[in-house]
Amino acid sequence: MISESSIESVAPGYSPEEAALLMRLRVFVTMRWIAILGMLVATLVASQVLDISFPTLPVYLICPVIALYNVVFYFQLRAIAGGEPGTIVHKARMYGNVHIFLDLIALTVLLHFTGGIENPLVFFYVFHIVLASIALHFRVVYVVATGALMMVGLLVGLEYAKVIPHVNLEGFAAPTLYQDGVYILAVLLALAAILYGTTYMATAISGELRKRQRQVVQLGEELLAEKKDELEQVSREKAELTEEKDRFLQFLSIAAHDLKAPLTAIQGFLWVMVGGYAGELTDKQKNMLERSSKRITELLNLISDLLDIPRIETGQILTEMKDVSLKQILRNCLQEQRKVAKEKGLKLTVEIPEQLQRIRGSGPRLQQVITNLVDNAIQYTPEGTITVSVKERRDDIQVEIRDTGIGIPEEDMPHLFDDFFRASNVEVKGTGLGLSISKRIIEAHNGEIWCESPCPETSQGSRFTFTLPKMRKRSRRQR
Amino acid sequence: MAQKILVVDDDPDILDALTMILESQGYEVVTARDGVEGLANLKAEEPDLMILDLLMPKMDGFSVLKELQDPRWSKYKRIPILILTSVREEASRRRYELETGLELGVDDYVEKPMPPEVLLERVEKLINKKKGRG
Repeated sequence: MISESSIESVAPGYSPEEAALLMRLRVFVTMRWIAILGMLVATLVASQVLDISFPTLPVYLICPVIALYNVVFYFQLRAIAGGEPGTIVHKARMYGNVHIFLDLIALTVLLHFTGGIENPLVFFYVFHIVLASIALHFRVVYVVATGALMMVGLLVGLEYAKVIPHVNLEGFAAPTLYQDGVYILAVLLALAAILYGTTYMATAISGELRKRQRQVVQLGEELLAEKKDELEQVSREKAELTEEKDRFLQFLSIAAHDLKAPLTAIQGFLWVMVGGYAGELTDKQKNMLERSSKRITELLNLISDLLDIPRIETGQILTEMKDVSLKQILRNCLQEQRKVAKEKGLKLTVEIPEQLQRIRGSGPRLQQVITNLVDNAIQYTPEGTITVSVKERRDDIQVEIRDTGIGIPEEDMPHLFDDFFRASNVEVKGTGLGLSISKRIIEAHNGEIWCESPCPETSQGSRFTFTLPKMRKRSRRQR
Repeated sequence: MAQKILVVDDDPDILDALTMILESQGYEVVTARDGVEGLANLKAEEPDLMILDLLMPKMDGFSVLKELQDPRWSKYKRIPILILTSVREEASRRRYELETGLELGVDDYVEKPMPPEVLLERVEKLINKKKGRG
């Protein structure tokens, strides 16, 4: 029998029209099973319950014949559904044509053995018309209607002329009815009216439906073509943007080199002189040269910072990402800073768990963030302790840098991570880009960074915290 | 005998500054302005150390390092190399690995500008290491 799953089993690639046709032909098969069942029930009820007497054996013989070609049709349909898309409509309709005429013959034969013109079954041809107009070409439906009329006409005509015997439904119709010419003519005319009327209506409706279906398909194709054009446009634009980005990065690295090269040369000479490699200097000269050198260093740092921002924002960090150990990164940066802190009389303590999961990130960039935060802490803490503490949490690793320093005025807090922002309670030092770059770096790692002042634990100084998401176990093997 | 150091850099001012710093410590300094000249001097002078810039005209430092991988240069393999450049180490490594598929095989890497004391410390370390190797 037909089930939902067998409808879905239509191979992909069929047009909606082909799929619909196959589905409708399957309705044919189902309807036929129902018809067979109906015939058997009607015969049983007529002969046993209503006490209408007629020979039932021919009916019981016709049923298996119909069942047989219905099974054949079922397998034919399955074969079509598994076949090449594009050939389906023609093949399916050919099979359908043959079967609808077999149905007509079967009904006519059945009619002959169950009273001919006496039997209201004569109007059942209308089902064939409806089914045919659902699935077959509209001209075929007119042929089916004409064929049905001709067969009925032939049957009642031959019975009327007594060429073939007539079976009377005893207890249902008068035994002489089949000889009543006017009655026969009236029934035939009514049948013709019903069949052609139904044919006209049903083919008109299903034709309209098929037209709509084609329109929908066409519309869908047009939309698809339009979307494809849009997609191509977008991918072209994306390629252009990528190219532009590459050109921009190229420009930046050239600019960086060309801006830094002369400064580097100047710095080299200044150091040569300050270091006494080019002869003795007076203290005054040395002092001025040292100050010049310091300004050059500031300028070099500013150039580095300024060029860092577009590099981070164009996503260059992503290309630097690998599995890194935060422990190693901390060790690298704190080595130098421990010395600086010690010189200033500050304590620098590190709290880090024994086992720390590796993370995906850019080592040098994370080092830059930690160095910047710890540098700031050292710079703004006249005395006391700077604590770097690392905690592993469920989804991320959290790094805190706490100090016991001067803290940050409340009105400065909202602007802390802005470009070129410098706190109002400190002397101008650095480029004012350190924290904004740190924020960009952490955000490029999908982490967060924030600051609290005074530090909630000690009610003094400030606490900077950033998080780095842990690697998901599953994605670890992908690279 | 004085240790000989080959300095390859396209910036004549950097060459001068480095020369002054190194000569003050008694090193003998040979210079080159690009990779081609650098390789020629490496062959001719057989220095004890090469200080190499990365971004240079004609033949850059990357190409020099790549060329030295060739078996023809195996004789000079024992000469330590100190990269002195304004390019970030991370960026250089990535570029070198992308271009050659090899690890950046250098003995030390420092970013310009560097204070003279740091430079001298690194130079001394590398030369001593080389001596240690024989």
